[in-house]
Amino acid sequence: MSDVILSTHELHKRFTSSRGVLGAPSHIYAVNGVSLSIRRGETFAIVGESGCGKSTLARLLLRLLDPSEGQVIYEGQDLTALPAAEMRKLRAQMQFIFQDPFSSLNPRMTVESIVGEPLLVHGTLTRKERREKVADLLRKVGLRPDHADRFPHEFSGGQRQRICVARALASGPKLLIGDEPVSALDVSVQAQIVNLLEDLKEDFGLTLIIIAHDLSVIRHMADRVAVMYLGEVVELAATEALYTTPRHPYTRALLTAIPVPMPGARGQIAPLGGDIPSPANPPEGCKFHTRCPYATEICKTTRPVLENAEAHQTACHHWRNLPPLGTDAAVTAPRSAATEARFALYRDAASKAAGHSK
Amino acid sequence: MTSEDVIPTLELREVSIRFRSQPVDLIDRVSLSIRPGRTLALVGESGCGKSVTSLATMGLLPRKAATVTHGQVLFRGENLIDKTTTQMEALRGNRMAMIFQEPMTSLNPVFTIGDQVAEAVRRHRNCTKAEARARALEMFELVRMPAAAKRLDDYPHQLSGGMRQRVMIAMALANDPELLIADEPTTALDVTIQAQILELMRDLLKETGAAMLMITHDLGVVAEIADDVAVMYAGRVVESGPVDAIFNDPQHPYTLGLMGSMPALAGRVQGASRLMTIPGSVPVPEAMPPGCRFATRCPFVSSECDAARPSEREVVPGHRVACIKAPLETHFAQGAA
Repeated sequence: MSDVILSTHELHKRFTSSRGVLGAPSHIYAVNGVSLSIRRGETFAIVGESGCGKSTLARLLLRLLDPSEGQVIYEGQDLTALPAAEMRKLRAQMQFIFQDPFSSLNPRMTVESIVGEPLLVHGTLTRKERREKVADLLRKVGLRPDHADRFPHEFSGGQRQRICVARALASGPKLLIGDEPVSALDVSVQAQIVNLLEDLKEDFGLTLIIIAHDLSVIRHMADRVAVMYLGEVVELAATEALYTTPRHPYTRALLTAIPVPMPGARGQIAPLGGDIPSPANPPEGCKFHTRCPYATEICKTTRPVLENAEAHQTACHHWRNLPPLGTDAAVTAPRSAATEARFALYRDAASKAAGHSK
Repeated sequence: MTSEDVIPTLELREVSIRFRSQPVDLIDRVSLSIRPGRTLALVGESGCGKSVTSLATMGLLPRKAATVTHGQVLFRGENLIDKTTTQMEALRGNRMAMIFQEPMTSLNPVFTIGDQVAEAVRRHRNCTKAEARARALEMFELVRMPAAAKRLDDYPHQLSGGMRQRVMIAMALANDPELLIADEPTTALDVTIQAQILELMRDLLKETGAAMLMITHDLGVVAEIADDVAVMYAGRVVESGPVDAIFNDPQHPYTLGLMGSMPALAGRVQGASRLMTIPGSVPVPEAMPPGCRFATRCPFVSSECDAARPSEREVVPGHRVACIKAPLETHFAQGAA
């Protein structure tokens, strides 16, 4: 069995929009030549700001969208060449969790029919077996089996996301893609779902691909991270390496922009100026050059390719000559002794409380 | 100069708000105070009542659906609760202004942004169209809008999210307000744009000397911009104090849970592999616990917590907490059975 579960080769996606009857059609370059390899059993994160093409890429990976060019290889099979019927069968092994648990659940279906539907489509279980399996899945995601007869509106955001996770697990997937799976949730609930995904990944031997814009959640969860900007991967590295020694100016800017939850922990930094250029009219050369503080002439004309840079892969002409960052780019907040002690008390009390209820 | 010497820009004294058809006060005796030039962050999760509190302050709650059942909202010492709609309209957008979360829905798509800012000026000032437009340009330059003069005639859809939020800030500050209320002003923005807007807001507050009530769920944003913090849970302030005290000496179990569930504070690098969580979710008004409203989710809960609403106590001057078990270490020892 190969070590790589999913890979892409020079993947492109262009969307075409016509401008009225007479106007020339314009292209939106959403994904531009992305080549990635996802390893079996890892948590792989794709991060970037809105409009960077991360959600389009996620949909291309499962062929929810067809690429304009390039290939997606899953377990040795080229998904882009697969007939629809075969693709449908394969989908049992790869599942998607969407950002918004409010719009991704049919309000007229009970939880049982939502979670049971993949079993109906992909499986051969009898009705009774299906009901048992649904109850089992609900327990696994931290819901009660008697929730099966309720409707989505009876649940909170966090519980709905648990239902989405249960549905995704129903067909026995090997690969789970979450497109911003926690960003619509409150902080305390986010933590519950992050912990749940980590547990399930262990229990079911899953490979996780997480799409996110929140870099602090990613640091907690991911093994490797790819940073995207305007449809291209600009840096790829193991999580700690990426956070401690980012090699691309954009990664640096992204990390230093995260507000640190400790007053005064982050020194005065100059935020990145300007806006992300329109993907309908991307700049020539390095796409980041319009906002990059280190841009020179070559950046305006020549597109940098992703190259090996000391355990990172980065697409920057100047990665060797970037000034040192000083400390950790993404400052982690040092905690005071008082906070530390009370956190410990909280954990103690929480685990005891959980023990009582079981 | 002690806090008693200055009239606060905004003071809420035990404000309670009840929505029609609900059995309890959704906002229950909330007290806040913001002095001139200071920024108070109101922190909490969705449904905790932070937005209702800010809308009540602005007199923007629908009068038929919600009533202030108790307390006073004092703006520079004047009680706003008794003001008529007309009196409130004269204040809003003038001496007090608001910035909302979603800049696209707060701007009118069929008017240019220059016209919209100029209108805000003319609404409260006796001036000509040309003067109002000049003021709009001045404001665009203040919020560092690139090519400001050219931008005046743009429509909202031609701007990015960050630029639209700059327009909202320009509009809010156009009449030199004494109080700015910002409801999640950077939540809809990307992180590099959020950093730009936060820096801008910090600079502008320093320049204008306005006070700000900032509503947010993001403790990172709080640490960046606030002088004081009030943590809200289910319609009550559970902990409040200067920003350093809240982050370095958090007392209330809810504050702890909120901080511990933030990955940035509890990263893998710092040892703990799992995030701390707060089990369950915020109680609905129909099932509000009788005593402490956090009792249903608190790991430290005991029967006393349901007996009565915990009174606020001052642990150090200025730092108040509403929990009968605070400070926690006097009631619980680590590792004890």
